Amino acid sequence: MNKSEIIVRIAGAAGDGVQSAGLIMAKVFSRNGLHTSTYNYYQSIIRGGQSWYQIRASSEKVKNQGDGLDVLVTLNKDGLERHTNPEINEGGASSLNGIAIYDKSLTGFKEFKDRVKYCPVPLSEIGQKYSKNPLLKNTVALGAVCGYISADFEVLADIIRDQFGGKGEIAEQNVKAAKEGYEYFVNTYGKADKKLQYSKKRKYLLAGGDAAGLGAVRGGLKAFFGYPMTPASSFLHFLAQHSKSLDVFVKVTEDEISAINMAIGANYAGVRAMTGTSGGGFALMTEAVGMSGMMEVPLVVYEAQRAGPSTGLPTKTEQGDLLQVLGASQGDFPKVILAPRNVEEAYYMMSEALNIAEIYQLPVLYLTDLYLAEHYETVDNLDTSFQINTGKIAKDGMENYRRYEFTSDGISFRALPGQPGLMHNEDSDEHDEKGDVVSDAVTDPYLRKLAMEKRMKKIDEYIKSIPPTPTYMIKDAESVVIQWGSTQGAVEEAVDILRGKGMKVGIIEITHLYPMNSDILQLVKGKKHVIFVENNYTGQLRRLIMSEFGITGDLIVKYDGESFYPGKLSEEIEAIIRR
Amino acid sequence: MTTISDFKGTVKPDWCPGCGNFAQLTAISGALAELGIEPKDTTVVSGIGCSSNLPEYIRAYGFHGIHGRLLPVATAIKWVNPKLTVIGYGGDGDGFNEGTQHFFHAARRNTDITYIVSDNQIFGLTTGQASPTSEMGMKTKTTPDGNLETPLDPMTFALTAGATFVARAFSGDVKQLQTLIKKGIQHKGFSFVDVFSPCVTFNKTNTYDFFRKRVYKLDETNHDPKDFYKAYEKAREWGDKIPTGVLYEVEASRYEERDEVLKTPLIDHPVAKITPEILNEFV
Repeated sequence: MNKSEIIVRIAGAAGDGVQSAGLIMAKVFSRNGLHTSTYNYYQSIIRGGQSWYQIRASSEKVKNQGDGLDVLVTLNKDGLERHTNPEINEGGASSLNGIAIYDKSLTGFKEFKDRVKYCPVPLSEIGQKYSKNPLLKNTVALGAVCGYISADFEVLADIIRDQFGGKGEIAEQNVKAAKEGYEYFVNTYGKADKKLQYSKKRKYLLAGGDAAGLGAVRGGLKAFFGYPMTPASSFLHFLAQHSKSLDVFVKVTEDEISAINMAIGANYAGVRAMTGTSGGGFALMTEAVGMSGMMEVPLVVYEAQRAGPSTGLPTKTEQGDLLQVLGASQGDFPKVILAPRNVEEAYYMMSEALNIAEIYQLPVLYLTDLYLAEHYETVDNLDTSFQINTGKIAKDGMENYRRYEFTSDGISFRALPGQPGLMHNEDSDEHDEKGDVVSDAVTDPYLRKLAMEKRMKKIDEYIKSIPPTPTYMIKDAESVVIQWGSTQGAVEEAVDILRGKGMKVGIIEITHLYPMNSDILQLVKGKKHVIFVENNYTGQLRRLIMSEFGITGDLIVKYDGESFYPGKLSEEIEAIIRR
Repeated sequence: MTTISDFKGTVKPDWCPGCGNFAQLTAISGALAELGIEPKDTTVVSGIGCSSNLPEYIRAYGFHGIHGRLLPVATAIKWVNPKLTVIGYGGDGDGFNEGTQHFFHAARRNTDITYIVSDNQIFGLTTGQASPTSEMGMKTKTTPDGNLETPLDPMTFALTAGATFVARAFSGDVKQLQTLIKKGIQHKGFSFVDVFSPCVTFNKTNTYDFFRKRVYKLDETNHDPKDFYKAYEKAREWGDKIPTGVLYEVEASRYEERDEVLKTPLIDHPVAKITPEILNEFV
C-alpha cells in the first residue's frame, strides 16, 4: 500500500453478490472516516460473466476509483487470473500489486508471485458453518479484508446488521462468519504494515443517482414519471423506495413519451414534477421537450448517459449525448443544460435545476452519466435547507391577465387550472399573449416574431444568473484542460500528477453546458495548450465550445465504455504539452 | 350555477361549416353547465388535429399539446388536482395511432377523466389521409387504391383495456351526445365516449346520412351495460345497424385511490423535509 490510501477490488460473476459486498466494504471505509470512491464494473446480465467492484479509500480526498490495486478479493478463478495478470487491463484498470484473498479450493491458476501475495482463505468452509447460503463466503472475505487492514471489527458487524435488518438470525450468522474470516486472516497472514488513518467521523456515502434524487426532493419535487433504463434506474429506484418517506409520487409509465407528457401535465397543474431516462429514452422524449419550451411549462429531465449509439453498452459509461440533448426537439426555443461533476454537486445542482425550470418556465436538462449515477462517493455534509422559488405565479382574478404577456425579461405569469378568473389556453401551436393560436386561420408574421423573441429573451435573463465557470489550479497555468461532468476526478488527479512533475497545467470545468458562461474566453486567453478531455468519440463539448466561442484545441477522448484513469490520462496530456 | 354561455370562448372555431365538432363543442359545454361545473374548474386537454383545436374555443383552462399525447397530460393533471374536471379531447388519428399506447394504459389506470374522441374516420387537418378507423377499401390521398387495413375498433379496444365507461355517440344527435358526455363526466373512473363526427370535406363515405340510416339507441333496447360480454357483442355490431349509447359501465377503484401518496391530492402536499433519519440511511 502506498501513500495514505488503499484500493480494494471484489471480483466475481453476476449473481455472486459482488455489488453488495462492495458496498459493505465501501461503508467500512466511510464509517471509519475515510474519503471513499467506488466503481462498479458489470454487464447487462443477471447471472454469470465477470463483474467487479472497486473501492478506493484514503484520509485525503479521493476523486475517482484510482490507479493501482492493493487488495483483491475474488469469488472465482476467472477473477483471480484476470486481475493479477498485468497483461490484462480492463479499460485501463490496474492489475494487482498486493494481496489476493480467495477461496482455498481454487487451484491451477497462473501465478504472478513477484507482484502478488497469495492468501487463500477457506471462505466457503467457514461460511457453511453458519449457513447454507453460499453468499456467506463473501462475508467471510470481507472479514478477512478488515483483518488485513486492521479495521475495527465492530464497524463491519454494525454494517452487516444494518444490511440484514437488525439482530436477526441471518445478521448474526453473517457477523459470526465475518468474525471468523477476520481472525483467520490475522492469525494466518498477519496485518498490513501500513496503517490507514481511521477516525470516528463517519461520512455520508451515496451514489450520484441517490444524490440527485435527494436533491430533487430538497428542490420540492412532488412527482416523478419514468420508465426503467440503465443507468437512469438508480435515480428511479431511489425515488420509488422513498416515495412515502419523502412524499414523492412515483409512476412508471407505459413509455418514455408518456412519462415526459405526464411530467409536463403535472407541472402545468402546479406541482414540481420531472422525468428521467438514458439516451435512448430521451430520444423518444424529445418532441415533448419542445412542447415544454413552446408552452413555457417548467420541466426537468434527468438524462443519465450510457455508451451508445442505439442499445450500445447498457452498463458502460460515456458522454455521448451532449449534442442530442442540445439539439433536442425541432425549432429554436430556450433550454438549459446542466451537468454535475461529482456526487455532492449532483445533489445541489438538482435542487437548482427545479428552481431554474420554474423561474424561467422552460425545460432544464440535467445531464449525468453512468459513472456518476452509479458510483458511490463520500460527502462530508449535505445542506438540506433550500429556498424554493416558484417564479411568477398569477394571483387569483388578476386583471387583464395574459398568460404569455410580452414582458421585458420574457417571463410572464403562470396561472394554474382552478384559479378563478384566469382561464386561458396554453398551446403547442404558435400563440399570442393570451395563448390564442396565430398559426391556423390567419398566420401573423408580426406576432410570431414577437412571440419567438418573448421566449428567447428568457435565456438572456437566465445567462445573468450563471455562476463563474469553475476552475482548478488555473492561476499560473500555462496549459489548460477543459472537462465536463464525471471526468472531473480523473482529470484533476491527472493534473495533480503533472503538477508533481513541475508542469503548469490547470482545468476549466464546465458545469453549465448551455447556455455557457462566456468567461471561458478569458480563462483560455494566453494558454499554450487547450486540451479537451471527453468520454466520447467526437469531442462533443469541443464542438459546442467552438461553435459558441470559437475556441478549440487538442482532444483526448475515451470511448471504450470505461471512465478515465488518472495515470494514463496524465501521460496523454503530457504528450500533447511536450509535443 | 353555470350556463352554457359561461363556457363560450372568444375565438371563433375554424372548423368547416357542418363539421361534427361543432355539436361536440356544444354538447361538452352543455354537459358541464348542466352539472354546474365552473369554467375555472374545467381543464380540456387535446392533441393535434381539427378537433384538437377545441380548447381554444371553450372558456376553461385549455392545454393543446402534441399529437397523440393528450391522455398522459390529462391523467397527470387529474392526479395533481382532483378537484378539476379533466376532459381529454381529440380525433381518431390522434388517439388511435400515436395515442393508442396511452389510450390502452389510461384505461387500465381508471383515472377519473373523460376521454372524448371526435371520430371522423379520416385525417382532416392534414387534408384527407386514411386514419386508423377508415373503412377497408376507402380511397384517400394516401390510399389511392383503397385502404388495405381493417379499421381499429375503439369500442372493443376500450373494453379490452379495462375502461369502466364505454359509450358511442353521434354528432347528428346533440341531445344524446350531451347526455352521454354528462354521464361520462359523472362516472367515477376512466370514461370513454367515441363520437361519430362526419368530416364533410374529406370523408364522403361516413356522412351524416350514412349514420342516420344506421344508428339506434341502446337505451331503447334491453341492453344491460353492466354485462361485459353483451357490451362486447354490441361493440362488434356494425353494418346496417350500429348501436349508440352506453355500451358498458361498471364501478371500479381508481388509480388515485390505490396509490398511497395520491390519496392526498398532490397539489396539497407540503414540501418534504429531508430529516436526519433519511440522511442517516446514507451513513
